[in-house]
Amino acid sequence: MTKLVQWLCGLALLGTGWATLALDPLGLHLPLPCRQVLWPFPVYLLVAFGCYSLATIGYRLATFNDCEAAAKELQEQIREARADLSRLGLKF
Amino acid sequence: MDQLVGFGLVAFSLLLFVYYTIWIIILPFIDSDHGIHKFFLPREYSVTIPVIAGLLLVLFVGVFVVIVMWKNRKPAKKSD
Repeated sequence: MTKLVQWLCGLALLGTGWATLALDPLGLHLPLPCRQVLWPFPVYLLVAFGCYSLATIGYRLATFNDCEAAAKELQEQIREARADLSRLGLKF
Repeated sequence: MDQLVGFGLVAFSLLLFVYYTIWIIILPFIDSDHGIHKFFLPREYSVTIPVIAGLLLVLFVGVFVVIVMWKNRKPAKKSD
């Protein structure tokens, strides 16, 4: 079973669980605050996931260190490559 | 500069998460005459606003893709 099928099965399971509790086909009446929490639950999960992704991106952006040595080495290699290629006749 | 943007993003997403969590999960269990309900919109908006934001996001991404592909189209060769 591929990963995609696994994820889809999990989503389908959660979706059926939510639908049984929220649309109330069996007639068992949950207390009102619980139903009010349950209705937007999928949207809540999506928003929570979005917030988590945003926070992770922001955190990695903030803690990413500059690599001074690698930058210098790269500039050096660019210069050498330019000198090499212009010697061989390529015009910049 | 990067750190400012990064931590700003973290703070913003944390704020959004806390507000949304209180709105969806905690408010239904608080009596409707408590003062805290003043700070939160009616419950219907807690679904419509994320859905509309998601649609806008998809719209922007689609428009961006269309613009980039339009700029990169090459004219058909006429000479031989």
